[in-house]
Amino acid sequence: MIYPEAKFSPGGDRYILVEFGNEMNLELNFLGQGLGAVIKQSAIKGVIETAPAFASILVHYDPDLIGYHDLVRELSTLINGLGSIEDIELPSRLFYLPCCYLDPWTRECVEDYQEKIHDKQSDPELVAELNGLSGVDELVRVHSGTEYWVASLGFWPGLPFMMPLDPRCRLTAPKYNPPRTWTPKGAVGMGGASTAIYPVSTPGGYQIFGRTPVPIWDTQASFPEFEQNICLFKPGDRVKFVPISEQEFIDTEKRVADKSYVYNVVDYQKFSVSQYKNWLNSIDTDKRF
Amino acid sequence: MMIEVIKGGLETSIQDYPGRIGFWNQGFPQSGPMDSWSFRLANLLVGNAAGAAGLECQLIGPSLKFTDDRVIAVTGANMSPSVNGVAVAMWQSIQVKSGDVLTLPFASSGARSYIAISGGIDSKPWLGSQSTFTKAGVGGVTGHAIKDGEVLPLADKVEVISRRVKPECMPELSKNKTWEIEVVAGPNDDWIDQAGQQRFLDSEWVLSAKSDRTGFRLDGPDWTFTDKAHNKAPEHGSEPSNIIDHGYPLGAINLAGQTPIILVSDGPSMGGFINPYTVISAAFWKLAQSRPGDRYQFKQVSVEEAQDLRRVLDKKCQMSSLTLIK
Repeated sequence: MIYPEAKFSPGGDRYILVEFGNEMNLELNFLGQGLGAVIKQSAIKGVIETAPAFASILVHYDPDLIGYHDLVRELSTLINGLGSIEDIELPSRLFYLPCCYLDPWTRECVEDYQEKIHDKQSDPELVAELNGLSGVDELVRVHSGTEYWVASLGFWPGLPFMMPLDPRCRLTAPKYNPPRTWTPKGAVGMGGASTAIYPVSTPGGYQIFGRTPVPIWDTQASFPEFEQNICLFKPGDRVKFVPISEQEFIDTEKRVADKSYVYNVVDYQKFSVSQYKNWLNSIDTDKRF
Repeated sequence: MMIEVIKGGLETSIQDYPGRIGFWNQGFPQSGPMDSWSFRLANLLVGNAAGAAGLECQLIGPSLKFTDDRVIAVTGANMSPSVNGVAVAMWQSIQVKSGDVLTLPFASSGARSYIAISGGIDSKPWLGSQSTFTKAGVGGVTGHAIKDGEVLPLADKVEVISRRVKPECMPELSKNKTWEIEVVAGPNDDWIDQAGQQRFLDSEWVLSAKSDRTGFRLDGPDWTFTDKAHNKAPEHGSEPSNIIDHGYPLGAINLAGQTPIILVSDGPSMGGFINPYTVISAAFWKLAQSRPGDRYQFKQVSVEEAQDLRRVLDKKCQMSSLTLIK
């Protein structure tokens, strides 16, 4: 649900978590991103930074400059002043990202976890089964059948948290218990209804079933995409996974290494909330294709 | 104007205070010294600004050779520092000469020592900070812990009057391997049932060896949850501790399945587990100085009390905590 009023909770002595609802939809993400933008514009005394997410925003503040309750009041005022999201139309880049689904590298990582930590069902099989799919081939078809909306960056530098824009491709997955201690760089996985790409080898809690050979963050600016920012994505971008074979993965990895790889990104489109909503109303969201 | 690293130690890294702030929304942690109390006092002892870049040493310290005359200071955990083999005092300004070798063998109590050098370390800031975030290979000189044979450039030295820290202004390390850690309830305390909240505050939690600057894993009893954690939309994930990915406060006690992990200086900014409690900033030095096997007892305080404790701590990190050496 979308909460009738935003919920405020303290995170220690210097953070406030603002929650707008407890489900995943574009509207809640626009509220989080929208509040982040107006906080920046209004320059509230004592606010250091914000981190918008799918349905919430975390606000980091300096308690020497503003108290908890005063900040809650300021944030409430800003939330009440947020305009309707129906009118939002914003530029949105679309990245075609190669992804080797059911790859040997994430499989090896899962097997390592099964052996050393917890004997769980393999990730792609588990996600396919829980979502009532016929098998891992259908998982690949469904997961790669939609554009993903980059709702936020976090967890690790440059990691995109994404939601599928086509509800017919919506999948859900449990998160690891306990988490993995390592994940291959470039692994693609899901937790809850969210899809993420691991920028480097890190611990992780998502079910993993694919891998991209393409860097999504780069401190050396090896490619033009990183000249403005070391992170490839920004909120409001879209990602479309293009299934590739193991051999194509290896070939692409080589082109990345010798810097001849060219990112496949288009940057002429705008995302219109009202048009998106009209389209949602025109399709049968319970169907798979 | 540099330091030659003879031995790097276990994990000695360049840090500044408060660290890399302003990039939480891209996933960059704050980094910086875990015990900023000891760190700031070390800098004040050598005439630097409290936040100037210095070294954080973990359990086993480095061996460093100076190439010019400098004033230095060592604070934090007691690693029995010596210069050219002669023991030197902690918590006070020390004059070293060109060619002198400072050695910090290992921590006999506490876990992290800090070395400040007059003028500070002169590495290139990255996203506004010199702090090393080793897991991503950024900050410091190389992006990693300092290594044997490496050279650390120093900034111009500053005039220093020798001082020491007043005993009442130093952090007091636990003598019985038990620490009282203050927490504020939230942001997701309403996912834990009454019994679970009571169990959290009444139990002793043991710091696991699987801990580092990204997270402190704790061993203890299992958690129990409210209805909210069990009956929820599938996009949260099916485990009770799963929530739609959201921003993590620094210091959050992040419940990954049944394993609580305190998110510390190099920790993740966002993720899909609940955070029932958050360790307050004024208690971070205690996390920094505890060792695997140490026990935590959590004490709940209000937001206002946590902010007061922060102010008390900040006051201790000022020149008024120092006294001249006669």
